[in-house]
Amino acid sequence: MNFFSISSVISFVALVLGQVLLFNHLHIFGFINPMLYLLFFVFYRFESNQTILIILSFLLGFFIDLLSQSGGAHTIATLTIGFIRPLIIRYSFGVTVETPQSYSSDPRTLNKLIFLLLLTGLHHAFYFTLVYFSWDAILLIIKNALFTSIFSLILMGITLSFYPNKK
Amino acid sequence: MQRILNALFQFRNPILYFFLLILSISFSFNQSPFHEYNIQKYGFYFSSKLYEISGAVERYFNLRKVNQQLLQENEKLKKIELSTENIPLYPFALTQPKRFPYAVKKASVLKNSYQKQRNFLILDIGSEKGVYPEMGVISNNGIVGVVHSVTKNYANVISILHQDLKINVRTKKSPAFGSLVWSGKSPVEFKIEDIVSIANISVGDTLITGGMSSYFPLGIPVGKISKLEKIQGSGYYSIEAILLNDPSQIYYVYVLENLDFQELQSLQKNIPQ
Repeated sequence: MNFFSISSVISFVALVLGQVLLFNHLHIFGFINPMLYLLFFVFYRFESNQTILIILSFLLGFFIDLLSQSGGAHTIATLTIGFIRPLIIRYSFGVTVETPQSYSSDPRTLNKLIFLLLLTGLHHAFYFTLVYFSWDAILLIIKNALFTSIFSLILMGITLSFYPNKK
Repeated sequence: MQRILNALFQFRNPILYFFLLILSISFSFNQSPFHEYNIQKYGFYFSSKLYEISGAVERYFNLRKVNQQLLQENEKLKKIELSTENIPLYPFALTQPKRFPYAVKKASVLKNSYQKQRNFLILDIGSEKGVYPEMGVISNNGIVGVVHSVTKNYANVISILHQDLKINVRTKKSPAFGSLVWSGKSPVEFKIEDIVSIANISVGDTLITGGMSSYFPLGIPVGKISKLEKIQGSGYYSIEAILLNDPSQIYYVYVLENLDFQELQSLQKNIPQ
């Protein structure tokens, strides 16, 4: 039950508050609000309990939806990402003996980049599909998902660079 | 029980995921009518497909009822059709309303013989529904016979396939009339007697009832002339006709009630012999 450490609780609360109070109001170029709360899926240790992750990802999306009055799109997208995270980990890091126990314990930069890319890309694709929810808006969905993903990735990269690699 | 619990425990993540997903989707709908509308659009599509299938099944099982309704409707329409065909052929009569003294009752055929020389039909209505002897019986496309005797719930009909029954007919073009008699072979082959050879008729002419009897009104189509021959020295045609529909293949018929039957009978009684 690694999650129930104080640092995890703090990171959960900090990510929700940061998203709701700060990042939802950035409006870069008028329409980009990067979603930094995806860092939760990076910090959550890879070998920890998957069931708890699903519940936590639901709660994470739920709180963000509740506090930013945004339908249910955050909840559904976050819940789905929480559910398929083992697949993303397996795809980006490979099923070997060297499968890392957490994101920061792996030294391979390319694998980390693929992991972040998949996580962010899928989440944003789900999120914007649910927000627009219409075939007519397919171009808008692609545009928003692409540019928001870029800024989310940049911000996540910057944030993660403050954390040193643990052995 | 243990196995069920084990299975549930093994698939706890997908189960939990889908449970929470449904929860969040319903949460989302409560927030946004737009999403609700979009999902309902697909819902309507599928439910309409489903209703289409179930409707087809239901329609199949309702066929009997629908048939009955159609027969009732036909009963009314038949009366209208007969009364319009009964318009006299002189032009100023079109402007005057003419009495049509016939009522139509629908019936289904219980028994129909067609292999003997004198054939009868049994109908499922009788004196209780107002059927009496000497009423004409027609089908959707032609005539069937004349009621012979009735009981409370059934009626016995002399079929047109009966060598003693003669029906008064004429052609649509020419007013010359004769009698339609069964030749006793195929159920659609008939002979027409007593048409004088000065009448202007030809092969292919449509035969209609002549309206000279109290059984049938004028103008019910019966058949077509198939063969025409002048008999030397007699002054009459020898005519063969083919019926429009096969009297051996009927299941629903209409009984025609002549409302003036008593009146006509009393007139005939007064004729001095």
